[in-house]
Amino acid sequence: MSISRRDFMKLVGTSVASLALTSCRIPLPVSCYAPMPPSPYPTDPMTAKGRLRRCWLSFGELAQATLQDSSQGNTDNDFSEQLIAEHRSALDDLVVTGKLTPSVANLIQEAYDAAVYHVWRSNAPMTCYVPMIVDYAPASAGVLVQQSEVLSEVGDESSIDPETLAKAQAALEHDMAFYALTDAEVTSLYERIVTEWQSQQRTVPAFENMELEITPDAKAAAQFIISLFTDQ
Amino acid sequence: MNTTRPRIQSLIFEVTQDCNHACLHCYNVWQPAGCSSYPRGQLDPSRTLDLLAKALDETVCSHVTLTGGEPLLRLDLPQILEFLQKRRVRVTVISNGRLLNERTATSLIQRGVGLFELPLLSHRGEVHDELSGAPGAWEAVLSAMANVRLQHGQVVAAFVATRKNIEHLRETIRLAFAFGARGIMLNRFNPGGRGREHLEELLPTVEQVRTALAVAEAATVEFCLPISCSIPIQPCLIDISHFPHLGFGFCAAGSERAYYALDPLGNLRPCNHSDTILGNLFEESFTDLIAPERMSVFTCAIPGFCMDCARRLECQGGCKASAQVCYGSLTAEEPFLQQNQLGTSKINPKTATRIPTSTRG
Repeated sequence: MSISRRDFMKLVGTSVASLALTSCRIPLPVSCYAPMPPSPYPTDPMTAKGRLRRCWLSFGELAQATLQDSSQGNTDNDFSEQLIAEHRSALDDLVVTGKLTPSVANLIQEAYDAAVYHVWRSNAPMTCYVPMIVDYAPASAGVLVQQSEVLSEVGDESSIDPETLAKAQAALEHDMAFYALTDAEVTSLYERIVTEWQSQQRTVPAFENMELEITPDAKAAAQFIISLFTDQ
Repeated sequence: MNTTRPRIQSLIFEVTQDCNHACLHCYNVWQPAGCSSYPRGQLDPSRTLDLLAKALDETVCSHVTLTGGEPLLRLDLPQILEFLQKRRVRVTVISNGRLLNERTATSLIQRGVGLFELPLLSHRGEVHDELSGAPGAWEAVLSAMANVRLQHGQVVAAFVATRKNIEHLRETIRLAFAFGARGIMLNRFNPGGRGREHLEELLPTVEQVRTALAVAEAATVEFCLPISCSIPIQPCLIDISHFPHLGFGFCAAGSERAYYALDPLGNLRPCNHSDTILGNLFEESFTDLIAPERMSVFTCAIPGFCMDCARRLECQGGCKASAQVCYGSLTAEEPFLQQNQLGTSKINPKTATRIPTSTRG
């Protein structure tokens, strides 16, 4: 499968942000009268790598700031900008000292930009007029049963064209039928869908057969990001 | 020229100014026909794709909303969708549903339309038809909803709350639920376009809107259906913290959450309610068109009435685009505020309740 270096790094950044958000904690400086528990991520904010690590561990704070800013009507997104600038600055220091090549540093920055945007977007509230965010998961069986009852009542009490009602009923039955399937039938259904897709010359390879064309630079950038979380 | 690509959450593309309905509440800035001086026309198919390519090349944008007029009237809509599909952009279509038969629904879903926003203005056909200015509109939109659901597409129903239909809200939500809508957009009537001619006739009172919100609050729980109120409702008029299950939005113009509107000729505006043309995308870059020095006139405008309010920065006085279109000034009180400002309650900065924000829509 062909995937651009930039897209690959964006995926890496977004994935890391999603994982980090579940447990990240920004290491706060120890201050007088407020002893802090030891951070699970030893960080030396004086080194460039330490500053990078702190940027990657700031997603929880970014999420909080986004929510807070939004509730106060502030849409400037200052904290995102600050994090991105700090990250770029630390990368530049590593480039100057020869620890990263400029191309690898640029890819790491791509990943970080995507990660920051992902966190911000996930926490910014809906806005005026943008169509609402819809849950694409199938409606629950309970909701479908309620829908069926209401549709039946609506059909009895209104003058809706019977053909239209029949289509609405058919659509509902399609949704309900999904819940009546056994596990084996669901598997069979998915296999059939894949087969149909493949018959249209859209081959779906097995994961182990996928050829991810990741350049050495992209691989190095991804490994560097992982090292920020794993290096002691 | 600034070469940084701005991030925008969504781009609204008005694919055509033509429409087969004549909604009384229509906010299209080129309406009413014959009165508006807004530029009319559209580019040919090839230039249209060039325009979209330029917009997407010059921004970081992953979602495009196609609207109009009525977008399904545009013959090259399939090509536009195929182009957006290749660019891996999520697409929402706002339509009146009149032309959304089974075959068209299939075609659009196959070309990547992830969400259809269709109007459902009443549970009573004659009221929906009157507001739509088109006999048969109600039957058509119900059929469209069924067609989309039958093809496993997703629908949200848009209810524009006016004096004529606001009391039908609960039954309309129930009807939308029965037809498989996955959400409701509860938009109070926001005067603009043709709607200006029907302002007195359609603009609901504060009390009517407050009652409607209570109805919606109960309905969202009863039907497990998300309901969002996207047109701003001023906190000095209604304390929206009383409706915790509803989503509320305020003007996002100028921010990354802005929804810039691109018309069929390539003119870019701060939003689809505004008639302010920032410039033409063929002549300037997207970044230059939305530069703070251009947008600040729009984003910094707050009515004088609101200057002492503790929540002026989030509320911004409501919809300033409506104020501009109706009264010629971005700093005028928009119609909903102007007509009800005697009933406002002063917001105390110390006791102000935070507006509940919701990501669920």
